[in-house]
Amino acid sequence: MLLMMAPQLVVSGVTTGMLYALIGLSMTVVYRTTTIVNFGQGDMATAGAYATLVFAVGLGLNFGVAVVLAIGVLFALGYVVQRALLRPIANAPHLALAMMALAVGYALRGGARLEWGNQFMTLPRPYPQGALALGQVVIPTDTLVIVGFVLLLLLILLVVFQATPLGRLTQAVFQSPRGAALVGINLDAFHAVAWGVGAALGAIGGVLLAIIVPLTPDLGEWVLVQGFAAMALGGFGSLGGVVVGGLLLGILEKLLGFYVNSMFIDITGYLITVVVLLVRPQGLFGRRMIVRV
Amino acid sequence: MDSAAASRAPARAAEGRLFFRRRRVFWLLPVLLLFLPPFLNQYQQYVVNTVLVYVLVGIGFNVVVGNLGLLAFSNVAYFGLGTYGSALLMAKLGWPWAATVIPAGIIGALAGVITSIPAVRGVRLFYLAILTLAFGELMRWTYVHWESLTNGSMGMTVPSAAFPLDTDRHRFYVFLVLAILAIVATDRLLRSRFGRAFEAIRGNEVAAAAMGIPTNRYILLGFAWSGFIVGIGGAMFAISVGQVSPPSFNMQELILEFAVVMVGGLGSLIGSVIGAAVLTALPQIFISFPGFQELVFGVMIILVLLFLPRGLVSLLARLSPLFADRFYRE
Repeated sequence: MLLMMAPQLVVSGVTTGMLYALIGLSMTVVYRTTTIVNFGQGDMATAGAYATLVFAVGLGLNFGVAVVLAIGVLFALGYVVQRALLRPIANAPHLALAMMALAVGYALRGGARLEWGNQFMTLPRPYPQGALALGQVVIPTDTLVIVGFVLLLLLILLVVFQATPLGRLTQAVFQSPRGAALVGINLDAFHAVAWGVGAALGAIGGVLLAIIVPLTPDLGEWVLVQGFAAMALGGFGSLGGVVVGGLLLGILEKLLGFYVNSMFIDITGYLITVVVLLVRPQGLFGRRMIVRV
Repeated sequence: MDSAAASRAPARAAEGRLFFRRRRVFWLLPVLLLFLPPFLNQYQQYVVNTVLVYVLVGIGFNVVVGNLGLLAFSNVAYFGLGTYGSALLMAKLGWPWAATVIPAGIIGALAGVITSIPAVRGVRLFYLAILTLAFGELMRWTYVHWESLTNGSMGMTVPSAAFPLDTDRHRFYVFLVLAILAIVATDRLLRSRFGRAFEAIRGNEVAAAAMGIPTNRYILLGFAWSGFIVGIGGAMFAISVGQVSPPSFNMQELILEFAVVMVGGLGSLIGSVIGAAVLTALPQIFISFPGFQELVFGVMIILVLLFLPRGLVSLLARLSPLFADRFYRE
């Protein structure tokens, strides 16, 4: 009897899981170019949603136009953050770079709270809210839209990273920045554009998220952890892995929450991160990267 | 003019300068602080007490992040466990606060040892960061959901204590003693072979191990010491606020603690004291504007990283070599 619920839980898990995957993808793009994990990515995603809110609701623009503008703003933000804040301390210890990313996210969150306080905002749904009945299982249009967007973006990223000269250059920048610079690759441009693209992808994730859950300044923190858990589970740097990781995370979260106890929903991401990093740090599809002294 | 007196004068001046050039001049600060309370109202006294709590939190965190150079975010967990440990021992077992201080430190130290396990096993960089962050969030989740013990998200009331701890002003003197003890002990630790080993590990872990330093043992010890000091800070926090609830140990708190270390000066004991004073007192000014605190902290950390990578203490170090750091050299 209880098992009857499972397919429906999987559908709802796929919906959120794909969003986690998209955030994870946006972090992976930055990681695959700069070796930095952006601890401010969650707040960049919510910043994208807030920007859309300003354009669509505040200025009354068409939703599509608003989203495109928001993506542009976030691309510029990511680009400028890298150029103005990270590049000057590029040679500092990793600790300083991680802190800088965290501080940028924190300042963004503070800015959002200053403007909107802690009230719940929602983005208007730009497509009809409906559902597709498939036997006993109901698939909402939200799920279809989200899955479609994420798979499309994954496909584009896979092609760019795996099958174009640009992807090979990016791999060179990731593996050996000094070597890449020596053969004439413009490192600064790659790093800045990667941050821009990462922020723009995050913005898409933030917009899709804000359509289905209420938007608050604190959403960014939760989004960051879920995106990171998806990355850890899938393996750092693996584009396909992060999507599989996000899906597994989303589904597991719903199953644990329903069959065990709803209080597990909050911490599934953390539990997965801890277990994966301790037991199999390379994740499902990643390469082993661990220091042994 | 008496020639003998004239010849003595420069010698006395040199002696005076010598006093201000020695590190013992720092003892003037706590001596001056002893006379501070009569000038403060109750609220200001509470803020000063909170500064002393964050002095312990900052120097404990600094041992791991500054001196060991490891990106570990589990400090809030030590703080929370120390706070809840002290509060529970008082509320459930009826212990006096003074008896809970060391146990709170030990609870923090145990948490430090647990969180050092991934570090000892070779987890580094952001892997370690997110792992320790997850540990802190799991602890917070435990405070919320173990309702029979912690009263969940409602928070628990800390029993009021007798004489030396009954008012903010009296607590100040107790806190001052604890803060001095923590600073002196950590200073001693960092000046010993332990501190030198920490510096070697931060500089180049592989080289340190190659030189025969048992790096894992020192990493474990650094985490334990950090947890011990921060746990004691937690006990102080418990008696100071009187009401313990899970939101005190969320990510906002983590950023505050990180800002104390970064803005004060990474790896510097005096820096942590400065950071605690600045970042605890500052938010009181704009407490009524939600979000402003986050914005200011974020911008402060960004500015420090860009222009003052060694924190506010490096500004003072330009004035006097006393503030120059002996445990953290580039």
